[in-house]
Amino acid sequence: MPMGHTATDQAGSGGLTATEHRLANGLRVVLSEDHLTPVAAVCLWYDVGSRHEVKGRTGLAHLFEHLMFQGSAQVKGNGHFELVQGAGGSLNGTTSFERTNYFETMPAHQLELALWLEADRMGSLLTALDDESMENQRDVVKNERRQRYDNVPYGTAFEKLTALAYPEGHPYHHTPIGSMADLDAATLEDARQFFRTYYAPNNAVLSVVGDIDPEQTLAWIEKYFGSIPSHDGKPAPRDGSLPDVIGEQLREIVEEEVPARALMAAYRLPEDGTRACDAVDLALTVLGGGESSRLYNRLVRRDRTAVAAGFGLLRLAGAPSLGWLDVKTSGDVEVPVIEAAIDEELARFAEQGPTPEEMERAQAQLEREWLDRLGTVAGRADELCRYAVLFGDPQLALTAVQRVLDVTAEEVQEVAKSRLRPDNRAVLVYEPVAPEGEDTEEAAAVAGTDENEEAAK
Amino acid sequence: MTELATMDFHPQPQPGDAKPWAFPAPERGRLDNGVTVLRCHRPGQQVVAVEVLLDAPLEAEPAGLDGVATIMARAFSEGTDKHSAEEFAAELERCGATLDAHADHPGVRLSLEVPASRLPKGLGLLADALRAPAFADSEVERLVRNRLDEIPHELANPSRRAAKELSKELFPASSRMSRPRQGTEETVAGIDSAAVRAFYERHVRPATATAVVVGDLTGVDLDELLGDTLGAWTGSSAQPRPIPPVVADDRGRVVIVDRPGAVQTQLLIGRIGPDRHDRVWPAQVLGTYCLGGTLTSRLDRVLREEKGYTYGVRSFGQVLRSAPDGTGAAMLAISGSVDTPNTGPALDDLWKVLRTLAAEGLTDAERDVAVQNLVGVAPLKYETAAAVAGTLADQVEQHLPDHYQADLYRQLAATGTVEATAAVVSAFPVDRLVTVLVGDAAQIKAPVEALGIGEVTVVTAE
Repeated sequence: MPMGHTATDQAGSGGLTATEHRLANGLRVVLSEDHLTPVAAVCLWYDVGSRHEVKGRTGLAHLFEHLMFQGSAQVKGNGHFELVQGAGGSLNGTTSFERTNYFETMPAHQLELALWLEADRMGSLLTALDDESMENQRDVVKNERRQRYDNVPYGTAFEKLTALAYPEGHPYHHTPIGSMADLDAATLEDARQFFRTYYAPNNAVLSVVGDIDPEQTLAWIEKYFGSIPSHDGKPAPRDGSLPDVIGEQLREIVEEEVPARALMAAYRLPEDGTRACDAVDLALTVLGGGESSRLYNRLVRRDRTAVAAGFGLLRLAGAPSLGWLDVKTSGDVEVPVIEAAIDEELARFAEQGPTPEEMERAQAQLEREWLDRLGTVAGRADELCRYAVLFGDPQLALTAVQRVLDVTAEEVQEVAKSRLRPDNRAVLVYEPVAPEGEDTEEAAAVAGTDENEEAAK
Repeated sequence: MTELATMDFHPQPQPGDAKPWAFPAPERGRLDNGVTVLRCHRPGQQVVAVEVLLDAPLEAEPAGLDGVATIMARAFSEGTDKHSAEEFAAELERCGATLDAHADHPGVRLSLEVPASRLPKGLGLLADALRAPAFADSEVERLVRNRLDEIPHELANPSRRAAKELSKELFPASSRMSRPRQGTEETVAGIDSAAVRAFYERHVRPATATAVVVGDLTGVDLDELLGDTLGAWTGSSAQPRPIPPVVADDRGRVVIVDRPGAVQTQLLIGRIGPDRHDRVWPAQVLGTYCLGGTLTSRLDRVLREEKGYTYGVRSFGQVLRSAPDGTGAAMLAISGSVDTPNTGPALDDLWKVLRTLAAEGLTDAERDVAVQNLVGVAPLKYETAAAVAGTLADQVEQHLPDHYQADLYRQLAATGTVEATAAVVSAFPVDRLVTVLVGDAAQIKAPVEALGIGEVTVVTAE
């Protein structure tokens, strides 16, 4: 069996190391030295994401993330942005299903400023948070939603697929952007309560990576974060576990003003952190990653029925991961033609498994993705936080590539056979309507009775 | 009610001593076949970046065949004399490499990224693609069809649609710049493998090509490696092509591309101005950053952080094409999207920001923060090999010296508030801006007309 093909002597980690520390208030700290470039990345993951939101308040975690940039006790207004950028740094924050992260990449000699800023808002955001910020950022986030989802073709596809793939009431049923109605409904008190519940040192991991003096860095962290009180009122997120397979083919037809027909699907896949998840990552890469994949070769090169075809993997730790298929049709090709070809390819793959060449290619591609991610201090800081928050061990970030390279072809075939099946997916079909069409509402036809329709082909 | 924090507060820390950093200086050389080579060793960068520039600009495309440079660029990765299209893609992916190619006004560019240990293999494939592309009939035909399928997707995308309309408005119909870079449905449909090969034979040769190689080159004998790969490419000599001057009509006016029912209006406001050959460039970079480089710049301070009309509006300068004699130009533009009901008020505020800037100028504090950011982020921005290679390739493409970027940082630091103000005010004069709005004309036309920022015309979206 191929034991993996490594591009570097020490696959991916490149000899990197990380040390772990914990302050008395529960803040976990991960440090990693790298003196090649005079820069330092600060990354702070709070263990809160959209999965922690409650009914009627979708989008709150992300709206709250915006409020974290609106000032705190010692930082006025947009001071966080101004000070970091004025120091030659770059910064941002993002919100996903499972976490909210904040990060600054600084010239090494400005590291202390970033730590001071993060500590100030962790400990004192509510002394500055007011209605004006809340109303302004509510409008900004609603415009973010319009720009990224509502005003672009297929923009809400991911939201629709997620809602299909994770049942009503499931913590991952809605995406982090939330609904317009819920964004409108959120109150300042909601935001305050959110902060009091989730923004505590014992609910966060701080990583600092780059051209740093670890002893000095740890002393600064103790100085600025050490006095922030911990608290334990955080409710456990709702259970995200689901059966291994959906058990039926879910389906929604969307009639919208889009440029072409499209077939998208979400497969329910193994949770992140498992060997089966790495195996399915390889399976999806063989099937739909890059331009030598089975689906690309079949649909784009040979049948010429699609303009683009690919698979992506959204790794999730607190619920099944999601394999996302996206195919845009060519010319007048109808969706059933595409769907039949995909089912055929997936069935063949489950039957035969990957060839040794396919395994080699898929592992080389995933290894390259890791080299890219670990190639910057910011990328490394984020991965260390990810493994610390989601799996309790940042060191796993440095061995992640090796785990992907250790997966065997049999394991890839096994996971494809058990998961990449028509009765384990939610399908979204786009049918374009003319701009003049008055009725642009979606015809939601969630199936459950006709699962054999596709499987029969 | 606010609440009191219970942590210990400390004063804002002062920075330590800055460590020296300079934009890397490449080493320049030439292969026997005439390929110019720039190389740069970046320790620790395990993914090596290779950029190849070809002197095959869009204005060299034959009349009626807009898009042939794009199809050629894409066809480079669709098979060679050694591999079929499918095999070529598989071989690239087998070494964890990615190869992108695209055609733009200055020329065609190929970008290879490959783990250092597999550089020989990656460079070999890149060299095969340049030296002996297959350009098989069936593959070119597929790329053409694929490109035709992409066009409706681009037209449906508000920002792409806005860019297309602005080019059409700004540049004379006779200029290649007025038309879509990747061609239209009519022109792309006429492209076949013979046209692609003819374009290749006419414009692609080692003598006018440049390769930039950046990454951790420890233990790599790059001369030998390049000799065995790109060095095996042969071709005739050629004179560099003359570069046509860039002209544009920036009379203030507004074009609405009608998208009934759109919940936002995409705005793109632009004109052309000086490129990097002009002494004003550093001041223009600085002033443009102060106007709309980030969310604490003047535009977002009002449009986003005060009014909430947008997720973000940016101003920028992007070189279109440069010439050694300085006759090139950059696109100077402001872009973003605002919600439909606030389109009029947002544009009103945007123009107020520009008028206030012209009347009162930038402050020293704004200038200082901008310089600190633009200069300070350099080590972060150029952490990866790909970022360094991209900038080195831009410099070559724009006929700038190899030390241009390093000089630019020194010039930025020496640029004062008055110069930055003058540059940005002259870059964005309120009466010489072409405004393209992609949005719901029925809702936005009247409020926009009322602003008096120019005549308003409406065109129907496809």
